[in-house]
Amino acid sequence: MTWQIKFALEYLQKNARLNSAEHIRDDAIKIELHDGSEVIAIISAAYKMTTELAAQYHVDFPDMSFLCGYRKECIWDGGAIRYVQEKQIGWGNAGSLSDAVESGDFINAEHKLYFFSYRLIRQMRSISNLDREYDRVFTMSLKNGNSYRVGMIMEYEPTADSIRTFWDQFGPIDVAWNINPNGSPTQQAINTGQELGCKVVKWEELKQLMGNH
Amino acid sequence: MKAPEVAKYILTSCPTLSEFHAYMFGSSLVSTGSDFDILIVGPSGDTLSQLKLEIRAAGSMLPLDVLYMLPEEAEETNFVSRKKCISFENLCKLNNDITKKCSTGVA
Repeated sequence: MTWQIKFALEYLQKNARLNSAEHIRDDAIKIELHDGSEVIAIISAAYKMTTELAAQYHVDFPDMSFLCGYRKECIWDGGAIRYVQEKQIGWGNAGSLSDAVESGDFINAEHKLYFFSYRLIRQMRSISNLDREYDRVFTMSLKNGNSYRVGMIMEYEPTADSIRTFWDQFGPIDVAWNINPNGSPTQQAINTGQELGCKVVKWEELKQLMGNH
Repeated sequence: MKAPEVAKYILTSCPTLSEFHAYMFGSSLVSTGSDFDILIVGPSGDTLSQLKLEIRAAGSMLPLDVLYMLPEEAEETNFVSRKKCISFENLCKLNNDITKKCSTGVA
């Protein structure tokens, strides 16, 4: 049994309401929900979830209901997200899986770190086109003709390092949006953004940028 | 693996950590969380890059969530005290105490 399966089983058994959870084979576990129904979840240790990897898991486990990128660093390609959503497979981190187990809704389960923020963006009427490149990076084209590549920064308090690391990993962005409502970027994070050429903002500033005063 | 064991393991696996202050915070200190929240405070640049490589290797089979802060950021945010962070050194002492109690049969 792999390390991530062990952690996931322990985490689910202690933190989610379920009857049982057990390893089946490879990266798959079977969960019996509290209502008695059974689902299969894949617990992946991949650093990057690509379309190809998601599709391969689906070939290996056609009945899978959830694909979990267990590592905190796991990055989801936009293509992988579209693949699982088209196949009505839930996706996200361990917390997202735990939430799906609680609710029993796997079809609509999404990465909980980005779910609310991205839904907010989808609802903005000033956006004419939205392209999700990664779980945390999208390009929004506005009706006024402007276009911005935006990075969603989940850190409680984004630091200089988190902005620089994000830039190095995903390439240039116009906006680093701190989506965690409970914190604010440090002054050094804002300065680093200015050095790199991106604004480090909270929701109110992003809304102003989009022209939704 | 519990928080004190993880702290001890990372301290011994990452020599560059001696130039930083490392802490653990969050739910993994008290129960089984989905990951271990770690705060590392120290310089940026090459030393930090080296430390990241070591942490990545050490954490290849652990769910680590590492936040790196400059000393002035730690001060600005008062993160250590606000999030009730516990230093790796203190966690290791705790680990040693537990081990001692276990080996001597003290509950």
